[in-house]
Amino acid sequence: MKQESEWEPKLLGFLCRWCSYAGADLAGASRKKYPANIRIIKLPCSGRVDPLFILKALRLGFDGVLVSGCHPGDCHYQTGNYHARRRMAITMRFLEYVGVEPQRIQASWVSASEGGKFTEVVTEVTKGLKEISPNQLFADGR
Amino acid sequence: MEDRKTEQRLKDEAKALLEQGKVDYIIGFEPGSLKFTTTPLITKDKDSVARLVINPFIVNNLSVYLNEIKGRAGIVVKGCDSRSIVSLIQDNQVKREDIVILGVPCSGIIDLSKVERLVGKDRDELGDITRDGDKVVVTVGGEKKAFSTSEILFDNCLGCDLPIPQEYDILLDESSPLVTDKAASNKGIETLKGMTRERRWDFWREKFSHCIRCYACRNICPACFCERCFVEESEPQWIAPVPRWQDNLIFQVIRNIHVAGRCTDCGECERTCPVNIPLRSLAKEMYNIVDDLYHFKAGMDKEAAPLMTHYEAADPEDFIK
Repeated sequence: MKQESEWEPKLLGFLCRWCSYAGADLAGASRKKYPANIRIIKLPCSGRVDPLFILKALRLGFDGVLVSGCHPGDCHYQTGNYHARRRMAITMRFLEYVGVEPQRIQASWVSASEGGKFTEVVTEVTKGLKEISPNQLFADGR
Repeated sequence: MEDRKTEQRLKDEAKALLEQGKVDYIIGFEPGSLKFTTTPLITKDKDSVARLVINPFIVNNLSVYLNEIKGRAGIVVKGCDSRSIVSLIQDNQVKREDIVILGVPCSGIIDLSKVERLVGKDRDELGDITRDGDKVVVTVGGEKKAFSTSEILFDNCLGCDLPIPQEYDILLDESSPLVTDKAASNKGIETLKGMTRERRWDFWREKFSHCIRCYACRNICPACFCERCFVEESEPQWIAPVPRWQDNLIFQVIRNIHVAGRCTDCGECERTCPVNIPLRSLAKEMYNIVDDLYHFKAGMDKEAAPLMTHYEAADPEDFIK
């Protein structure tokens, strides 16, 4: 843990532009503090997240991926987050079976008014990533 | 399953279908060039249907050809293959009215490499292999050896709950004396689950370092019907086209996610793999995951919406923060 406290995990966030991205914005506007470990990509909808994005992020060396969208029933496009939910469910279960640490892939519902929840989620996910080692999954000489 | 009687009935039905103009093609099995093998037969010729066979070696899932055939086809299917067809109908890939399904109740397909390993001889040295109830009798040098089916059938057959075709126009036989052995069927997956997470990853890393990216698994899979596969996309290029284990593993993980809810555990991916990667241990786990999460088995109902184009408000979400 001593060495690892030096290391800061890189977390890639895929946020839906209607809820979670606005939630992140609100967190900033409200001067709430969340770990700078997250790098955010804004997407139109959590339903836009292809499991390929997640694999590609891990392949590029990100330590974790967070997919966040609107609460069920709140999707701007009515159903995108429901589709995302199924996709994330099978992707997370399958990747754990293949051998990816479950902490690396996370999903959350954060609405545009939940700036506080956004900081909590990012803090918690970052903490989870600090508890496991840096992503060496795709490193060659392991 | 009385193969001779079923086989004759198949020949008669297939000939009649061609003669009456109900189909343009017959897709079935004929004897292969090697002993105990079969090979797909696709024919327009009503005399060629005499070459059709039904035996415990009709291994291929012929529904993979349906997409490529222009016109109406009569197709010979086992239980798992019929579900692949239903799945293709659900995905609007084939029209039900364009195919005549000749269903064969399946009693399990014999894995020749298991026979060779048990007997310790090459397939060319074997006299005969016959089914006798829940036994398989192998004749070696005039001597008969009986084995239980759980030692001889393919792993996916040993885990099969649905040997009778789900969808058919003509059912060639009634009965199916398939004796399953779930423990033997799940051995691969259970062994992997018993390992630590790191060991599992290392296991797959080692296996996929052998992959030559021939795409045989993709090409033989009836559920893999995209006209343009993500592996060939160049803008963006998701994975490199050269076989590196990292990209090979990503290819296979994504392939399994793409066929989730379409895979019927026919086992063709694993059988076709030239470097013996245990692909069924991935495919069957995904099959189990969708069954566990959504109580969904592929190819059961041609009216049902495909799994991943559909959702329920009450789908599990305990994994979401």
